[in-house]
Parts: sequence; C-alpha cells; structure tokens
Amino acid sequence: MGLKSGRIKYPFILPSMIWVLAFTIFPLIYSFGLSFFRVRLGRPATFVGLNNFARIFSDYKLGNSLRVTLMYVAVTVSIQLALGILIALLFHQEMKGKSIFRALLILPIFCTPVAVGYLGLTIFYEEGGPLNSILMSLFGWKIPWLSSPFWAWVAVLLLDIWQWTPFCFLVILAGLQSLPEEIYDAAYIDSSSEWEIFRKITFPMVQPVVVIVLLLRLIESFKIFDVIYSLTGGGPGTATEVYSLYTYRTGLKFFDFGYASALGYVLLAMVMVVVNLFFRRVRQVYE
Amino acid sequence: MGVVRKQSKGLAVIRSILALLVVAWAVFLIYWGIVTSLKPPAETFTISGISVPVIQFRPTLENWKTELSTRESRFTLTNSIIVAVFATAVAMLLGVPAGYALARFQFRRMKNRDLTVWFLSQRVLPPVVVVIPFFLLMRALKLLDTQLALILLNATFTLPFAVVISRQAFQELPVELEEAAAVDGCSDFAAFVRIAFPLAAPTLVAVAAICVAFTWNEFLFALSLTSLKAKTFPVYLAGAEDTRGVQFWFMATRAMLALGPPTILALLIQRYIVRGLTFGAVKG
Repeated sequence: MGLKSGRIKYPFILPSMIWVLAFTIFPLIYSFGLSFFRVRLGRPATFVGLNNFARIFSDYKLGNSLRVTLMYVAVTVSIQLALGILIALLFHQEMKGKSIFRALLILPIFCTPVAVGYLGLTIFYEEGGPLNSILMSLFGWKIPWLSSPFWAWVAVLLLDIWQWTPFCFLVILAGLQSLPEEIYDAAYIDSSSEWEIFRKITFPMVQPVVVIVLLLRLIESFKIFDVIYSLTGGGPGTATEVYSLYTYRTGLKFFDFGYASALGYVLLAMVMVVVNLFFRRVRQVYE
Repeated sequence: MGVVRKQSKGLAVIRSILALLVVAWAVFLIYWGIVTSLKPPAETFTISGISVPVIQFRPTLENWKTELSTRESRFTLTNSIIVAVFATAVAMLLGVPAGYALARFQFRRMKNRDLTVWFLSQRVLPPVVVVIPFFLLMRALKLLDTQLALILLNATFTLPFAVVISRQAFQELPVELEEAAAVDGCSDFAAFVRIAFPLAAPTLVAVAAICVAFTWNEFLFALSLTSLKAKTFPVYLAGAEDTRGVQFWFMATRAMLALGPPTILALLIQRYIVRGLTFGAVKG
C-alpha cells in the first residue's frame, strides 16, 4: 500500500467523512435528545426525562411488535440460509444452462420490495387468486392468506424468503467456487462419502462466507418495512406489525416524535448487539 | 469444475430437474407480474392457475398504455429517475475519492481498516431510527416534499457501497503504474484521474448501478418525506387508491414498472453483484 507524498489523501477522504457525520451522527444525536421530550406537532416540547423509555416497558403493542420482529428475523434468516446453502450445493457443478439459471436467480434480489408486496396481494388474493385457485382445484380447500393472523405471517415470510434466498445462494456459491480443487482430489482418495466431505471439508471452508451472509441478512431483516407495509399493512390486527412499522406509525402517523425516537434507539441497540457478536470477523475481512 | 467425480446419469437428471424447479420458483413472481399485466381486465379471474399467455388468453398491451399515459405515473417515474441519478452522482463523487485514499495512503490516527468499517457501519443503522429526526430537520429547512431531500438521504445511505467497493477495486490495481507516473512528475491527483480511475472504471460503473437500484427501491424515506411534488414511484405504487381493490391488471403493471429498471441493471452487472452486495467481503 502507499504512494509516497499523499498530499491528496485528506482532501479525498474528508468530504465523505464530513458528509456521513452530518447525515448520520447529527440526526442520531438529535433524536437522542428528542427521546427525553414529549414532542408533538404544533405544541411546544416539554422535557419528560426518562418517561418515554419507561413507557416502553408497559407498551403492549411494542411487546407485540418486538415478538413479531424477532420471530420474523429468526425464521426468515434461518430458512434463507439453509435453502441458500442447499441450492448453492445443487448448482456447484457442471450443468447445462448454468449461467442462465444463475442470471435468473439474481432477479428477485433487485426487485423493488414494495412492488413485491403488491404482487403478493394478487398472488395471495383469497377469492380466485392464483394460489387459492390451484389449491381449490387440487384439494378443494383454500387458505385465508391475508385474513388469518397466522397465514398473513406465512405470506410475509414466503415473500421475504422468495426475495432473499437467491442472495444467500449467490454468495455461498461464490464461496464454494473459490475453494481450491486440490483438496478434493485428496479427499476423494481418502473417503467416498459425499456427506463426510461436505461436513469435514466443504462446510468448514465456506463457513466464513456463511457467517458474512448471516450477518448481512440479520442486519437487513431488522429493517423490514416495505413488504409488510404493502402486503398486510401490519394486519390483520397487529399480527404482522413489525418494529419498524410500529415506530413509523408512532412517529409519522401519530406524530409522537419523542416516543418514536426512544423506540428507534431500542431498535438500534438490538441491532448493535447482533453486529457486535460479529465485529471482530468484520474487521478481519477489511484487513 | 470436477468437484463431483462419480456422478451417475440418474443423479444428474434429478439434479437438473431440481435446478429447474428452483429457477421456476425464483422467477414465478416476476412471471406472474408480467402475465397479469398483459391480461385483459375482463379475464383477470376467468383464467385459472398460472395463466399461460397466448394459450389461455390473448395478451394485450392496453394496461401498459393506460398506465404510462396516466399523468401521475409519468410524473412519479420521472421523480424516481431524477432522485436515483443525482443521489448516485453525489455518492460516487464523494465515495470514489475516499475509496482511493483508503486504498493508496496510510492513515495514522484512525487506521484504514477502521475507517472502512466506520463507513460500513451506516448500513447497520435501521432507517426508521433516523427518519424522525430527518423529518423534523427537513421540515425546519423547508425541504419536505423536495427531490433534494431524497437525493441527500439516498446519497448518504448508498455512500458505503461507493467507498468500500471502490477501495477494493483500487487495491486490486497494481500500484506500480501510479508510482511510475509519479516519477515522471505526475501529481497524485493526475495519477488518480488519468491512471487509476479509468482502470477501475468497470467496477465503478457496477457500483453506480447498485446505488441507482437501491435508491430506486428505497421506500421509507420517500414515504415519510414526500407527499405530492417529490413523490417517487414506489410511494405512488403503495398509495394509489385503485390498488386497494382487486384491479390486478393495474397493480401488476405498476409493480412491473417499479421492478423493471433495477432488475435490468442487475442483469447488466451480474459479475459484480456478489462483491457489491457483500461490500467486497466475498469475491464472486
């Protein structure tokens, strides 16, 4: 690394550092301040100390959204990861049309989440939507996709798994393809069981990649908002009201800015805990 | 790649079938969107199952024509394009030089690695945490419902892509060319503009495409900070009255208009997607 003079290094890096400070640290400080006030549109703010944070513990709607979010994150991320690994193993060999398949599998990742939710509304439509009409003709019953709390949850999960499994697949496949082949030559002499080779060689070697995928999916899953906003709007009732949606409504529908800021900080704290579990690994990657 | 040595014919067939099923599942929603957007409204519910065009119904472009001639869709599409292009321009303008500095020079007080991780850490921040201060801030600055507000925010949240991936692109270039230029009396800045930048251009184009796609897809900020004038297409899609009913044909057409541009970009930059979306942590 390194050109000698380096006179341009500060002019090159400072603008973006200042920009980031201005647009992330400042709002964070601002909202930290807000969280100690009762702030409503059109009325002067009043200092309430830790009241907003105290309210968190007695807010049953918050408890619900927390439960929904954690369930959602745990289920969706583990399914995506498991399917991603399986599909990556499936595609990790010579196959006709592999590059076209791979290209098609990329598409869901870049689909606008709101649009995915809206397509979901038509797919899961209960009277004559495609899924239910197939179920009706095959089995003679249908699923109350969006009117039952449980099935609405399943519908959200299905869309999310649809959209993000390809991401897990793609990255893990890249990891698999970067493994040196010589190791396998030796392994196949010693052992003939594919499962054993996967368990003892392949998995340990792609494990760093799996960890990165896991971290990225965890971070993104805590942000979930768009798909739920357009598919269920948090309903029926509050069955799919995730944390982001609850915070958004508190702040920008009911204009309870102070409490919403406190809620935001709780979410940030949760994500920070998750990220810190991985922190050393992330730093190593950028060595 | 000879990873699997002994593969019987039967096994290969099973694998191919499985692969086809996976692909069918991955494209199903998009297929459904396209097909529904081509259906005549009257036939929305009369055609059963997966509705194969031509065989089960005669496809029509009517829905697309209607949708594209609606004033509000054209207007919100234009807004989306403007916001995506300018936000990306700002992110690249700020991020690429920063990535270059991180790749080529040593920073002492804060190490290069820590600076990189610091830039990345913004992606951890859930947008809903900052949307309220941004709302109040933009209101105070009279920037609510302006494209400028969305450009500023989207530039901020796509900046980590620009910094981290361009850093890696520059790191992979041999430094000797720039050193030789320096010996010939070329300034650092000229070496960056004339040598490093053109060599890294393919990766940088891919980064820009990722920034455009992310800004295009962004929803929470657009929903919170715009109401009329600066509304982007996803917000229009989410809020339009007739999408609440059962007008599948308009819903599908709009959904396809929304996800068309980013998915096309994705196909164009395929080779860079793994690296881009993992911030260079995995090379694809």
